[in-house]
Amino acid sequence: MNAPLVPPTMTDAAARTVNLSKVYGSGETEVKALDDVTIDFERGRFTAIMGPSGSGKSTLMHCVAGLDTITTGQIFVGDIDLGTLNERQLTRLRRDTIGFIFQAFNLIPTLDALENITLPMDLAGRSADKEWLDTIVATVGLGDRLSHRPSELSGGQQQRVAVARALASRPAIVFADEPTGNLDSRAGTEILQFMRTAVDTFGQSIVMVTHDPTAASYADRVVFLADGRIVDEIQSPTAEAVLDRLKRFGA
Amino acid sequence: MLKVTLRGLMAHKVRLIATAIAVILGVAFMTGTQVLTSSISASFDKVFADVYASIDVVVRSDTKIETPFGAERTRMTDEVVPAIEDVPGVAAAEGQVVGQIRVLDRNNEPLVATQGPPNFALNWLTAPQLNGWSLVEGSAPMGPDQVVLDAKTAKDGSYAVGDNVSVLVTGGVQQFQVVGIAKFGKLETWGGAQAALFDTATTQALVGEPGKFDWISIAGKEGVSQAELRNEVSLVIPAGTEAITGKEFTAESQDAFQKIIGVFNTFLLAFALIALFVGSFVIYNTFSIIVAQRTRELALLRAIGASRGQVLRSVILEAFTVGFAASVVGVGFGILLAIGLNNLMKSVGFSGPDTPIIIPMSAVISSVVVGTVITLLSAVFPARRAATIAPVAAMRDVAVESVLTSRRRLSAGLVLLAGGAIALWFGLFGNLDSGLQLVGLGAFTVFIGMTVIGPVTAPHMARFLGWPLARFGGVNGRLARENAMRNPKRTATTASALMIGVGLVGFIAVTAQSIKVSTVEAIDQSVSGQYVVTSDGFGSTALPADVAIQIRALPEVETAAGLRGTFATVDGSNKIVIAANPKDLVKVIDFTDVDGSLADLTVNGIAASKTLAADKNLVIGQEIDATFLQGGSTTLILEAIYDTQFPIQGGGWLITTEEFNRLVPPAQQTDSSIYIELKDSSKAGIEAARPSLEAIVDAVPGANLQNLDEFKQAQTDQANQFLAIVYVLLALALVIAIVGVINTLLLSVYERTREIGLLRAVGMSRRQLRSSIRWESVIISLIGTLVGLAIGLVFGWALVKALADEGITAFAIPWAQLVIVVLLAALAGVGAALYPAWRAGRLDVLRAVSSE
Ligand SMILES: Nc1ncnc2c1ncn2[C@@H]1O[C@H](COP(=O)(O)OP(=O)(O)OP(=O)(O)O)[C@@H](O)[C@H]1O
Ligand SMILES: [Mg+2]
Repeated sequence: MNAPLVPPTMTDAAARTVNLSKVYGSGETEVKALDDVTIDFERGRFTAIMGPSGSGKSTLMHCVAGLDTITTGQIFVGDIDLGTLNERQLTRLRRDTIGFIFQAFNLIPTLDALENITLPMDLAGRSADKEWLDTIVATVGLGDRLSHRPSELSGGQQQRVAVARALASRPAIVFADEPTGNLDSRAGTEILQFMRTAVDTFGQSIVMVTHDPTAASYADRVVFLADGRIVDEIQSPTAEAVLDRLKRFGA
Repeated sequence: MLKVTLRGLMAHKVRLIATAIAVILGVAFMTGTQVLTSSISASFDKVFADVYASIDVVVRSDTKIETPFGAERTRMTDEVVPAIEDVPGVAAAEGQVVGQIRVLDRNNEPLVATQGPPNFALNWLTAPQLNGWSLVEGSAPMGPDQVVLDAKTAKDGSYAVGDNVSVLVTGGVQQFQVVGIAKFGKLETWGGAQAALFDTATTQALVGEPGKFDWISIAGKEGVSQAELRNEVSLVIPAGTEAITGKEFTAESQDAFQKIIGVFNTFLLAFALIALFVGSFVIYNTFSIIVAQRTRELALLRAIGASRGQVLRSVILEAFTVGFAASVVGVGFGILLAIGLNNLMKSVGFSGPDTPIIIPMSAVISSVVVGTVITLLSAVFPARRAATIAPVAAMRDVAVESVLTSRRRLSAGLVLLAGGAIALWFGLFGNLDSGLQLVGLGAFTVFIGMTVIGPVTAPHMARFLGWPLARFGGVNGRLARENAMRNPKRTATTASALMIGVGLVGFIAVTAQSIKVSTVEAIDQSVSGQYVVTSDGFGSTALPADVAIQIRALPEVETAAGLRGTFATVDGSNKIVIAANPKDLVKVIDFTDVDGSLADLTVNGIAASKTLAADKNLVIGQEIDATFLQGGSTTLILEAIYDTQFPIQGGGWLITTEEFNRLVPPAQQTDSSIYIELKDSSKAGIEAARPSLEAIVDAVPGANLQNLDEFKQAQTDQANQFLAIVYVLLALALVIAIVGVINTLLLSVYERTREIGLLRAVGMSRRQLRSSIRWESVIISLIGTLVGLAIGLVFGWALVKALADEGITAFAIPWAQLVIVVLLAALAGVGAALYPAWRAGRLDVLRAVSSE
């Protein structure tokens, strides 16, 4: 399996949305979680999404990752319009083209760390690219813990395994929803550095939701969401700039 | 706390469905059995009451021989009738003759099937007070050629007054002219049994003895009580006879029948209890899983101040509610089941009397109590576990079932296994009165012991069985194996339910196969003749004595030995005594003389089998006291002790036919089978002899001619029929076990919702997910099946060893059948996974991932 990364000249977005809206419920209880969102997630870049609780960050990620249905608009992963895919094709897309990291519970308890990392490839019935796997495992620094089950790993180690899994199949894009939310700052920093490395060395595209300005400062670009709309963005952010921007929201 | 319980019940109602199904099925079977058997027995009570309604007092012989079907008595003359008629309270007295015949249809086939009710010959009573029959048409029978048929026989055979009808009687087939058609009271039959009525002398000639009656029926005058009448009659009757009231007479018949149906009832109830036993595993599992899943909730309750007792009571109350409700529903289904079976029996020809369904209160109460108590008992351990949940568990993340340490579990299980084995051993080989109960207890304990060990062994078995899956089945195969191993206790309990059902199937299969093989081997080794004639009739309707004589007269035939048997009290115990012509017998069946000479057995002699002789320390020349139905007690000389593989030996006593005919009434002087030795025993000779043999045998209704292969096949077929019934009855236990597998999988899927969501999120397809759950189910099913079969083999082996004295000498394993059982179990595993896998596949990925 060769890398699904497409040369930047073809399209410059790993994934993008066009006039995306997502409405939960109907009538009185209607909630507009996403309201006409059009955004590109550039290839080979690290994008952070921020915004108040309930602003639609998770919803946006779930929709783009093909985990949730949308109300109106379009989503493209690479050149593929998700709206044209059936359930089976979506499953395959998630398996081969997208990586996902949740805030918690990322690992199958009955599989050991290595098996968890290779899970998407195993599901696809193909063997992992040995060299690439070694590279990733070396980068996450799990070494001797590969044969341990999740219950024998710390929360930080578990998240590192989750990141390794998300990267192992060389997906076109990785989505991470508050991947450091459950970790202390040291473990969180390790994860963030690891993701940064993946972007810099392997050209991986990553989209991450976070509430933490320091975490956001690891990204190339921060997008701000409020009430389901994109309200602002910062390129090459620093923690201070992000904090400033967030303070302005509060006001 | 009550509110919490009820909320809990409502919240978990889906999870309690399996518990309810297990209880409902078991209880329904239990109620159904009792309702059906009490209905049948009540209807027979009514039959006997109807049939003997006109009789106030009965005078009969007091000489009797006990048989498993009630006492048989000698007949008496009616010399005493004038004296009885002189008793002031007596209105009428008349002798009754009763015997069994088979009325034939126009194709010479019996009108009433073998498995149907008896077909009686009765003498037509002349006293109107005593004769319950009334002619619908024609006249009363008179003379040796006339018969009156009951309305049903006439209808079934479409016989009308004036027609000729053939009847099989002790002497062979005879023709009669139908002179009348009669009803008994309002009934078409003699209370369900079909009857043909002849005049007294004819009935005696056909099924009894000239001048003799089975009993004398007496009707009293208005206002005289039965007891008074009996006392008065007692004063005038001769020695050797006794007088009893009509009520006592009726009760005797009713009791005899109750005993038979009681055995049937116990047999069926055993299967109902097996089903409930299997069900208890399902219940136990359900509550264990619910408690495990509710650990946090229960811990929270404890943290905010609920006492252990309150938590315990809450779970127990939940179990009680479910158990009680399901039992009540089960009783309802049981009644429906009884009604259905009753109709089914009617439609397949078990045409007994009309059986209105009666519902005994005792059946309802016992079923509800048993169902509820079993549910409660099965929930006690999970409830105790719930009560011991520490309040801090509310803060912990995962639900972990506490598992006894392997070592303690292993030793407890081994102690139980050893105890069960010892009980089994004593039950089988100890020659105790309570042997059967001990065997049951032993088997029960072994199953419990295996269940206790289960959690220790199940993961190893799962790892072993799942190896090919993990190796070749990809990640879903690996997951299936891991999931089957991850909760040893749950896997073990689920598998155990299946283990019991399959264990019993394996046990029955092995035992039956051993019996079949032993029988065939015994026939091969002991029967030197080439043909066997058997009959599906008994006693007076078996093979007329003439058949063997005719066969012997055929030019192709070297010898034909007829075998007959009767119950008699020999050397103090009631046994079946076999009779044959010894010189002929030794030519068709291989005997080894251990002592004396069987071929030279004389009229005053008796022979005993080696086992019997060893048992009773018999020696040649010894006097043996015997009491047969006719001729009172006799003394016979032990002339031979023999050894043979021949399977049909009765109680091990053998006398000459000549002597037999002196000692039993004429109606019993029929052969139950005839063994034939041909002059030319080559293959061609055997085939050549068939037509002339068939010509004789075909003329006897109910008789079959079989060459040795056919004879062996027929013996095997009989065993197979019984086997089929037992399998059907065990199927219920298996169904409950499979419900248990479905239940466990469903609850596991529920418990693993997040995990499944994650798998789907990272790209597992629905098909892969379903296949993973399916394989998990197959592994669990195979664990139960393989352990069950292993236990079944051991049980079967033990029983076969115990039966060695009864001629079961071979231990045979029906490999093909067992392989089929394993394949079926795997298939059942696939089937059980269908719904849970479908449910898992349908889980919404996002919701699953974010579920708690
Ligand atoms: N399944 C659902 N049904 C109805 N409304 C929903 C559902 N999921 C999310 N919402 C609503 O959609 C809006 C956006 O939710 P979302 O989870 O995307 O917010 P978020 O930005 O990720 O918040 P947080 O930072 O707290 O995680 C919220 O108002 C939420 O209540
Ligand atoms: Mg969120």
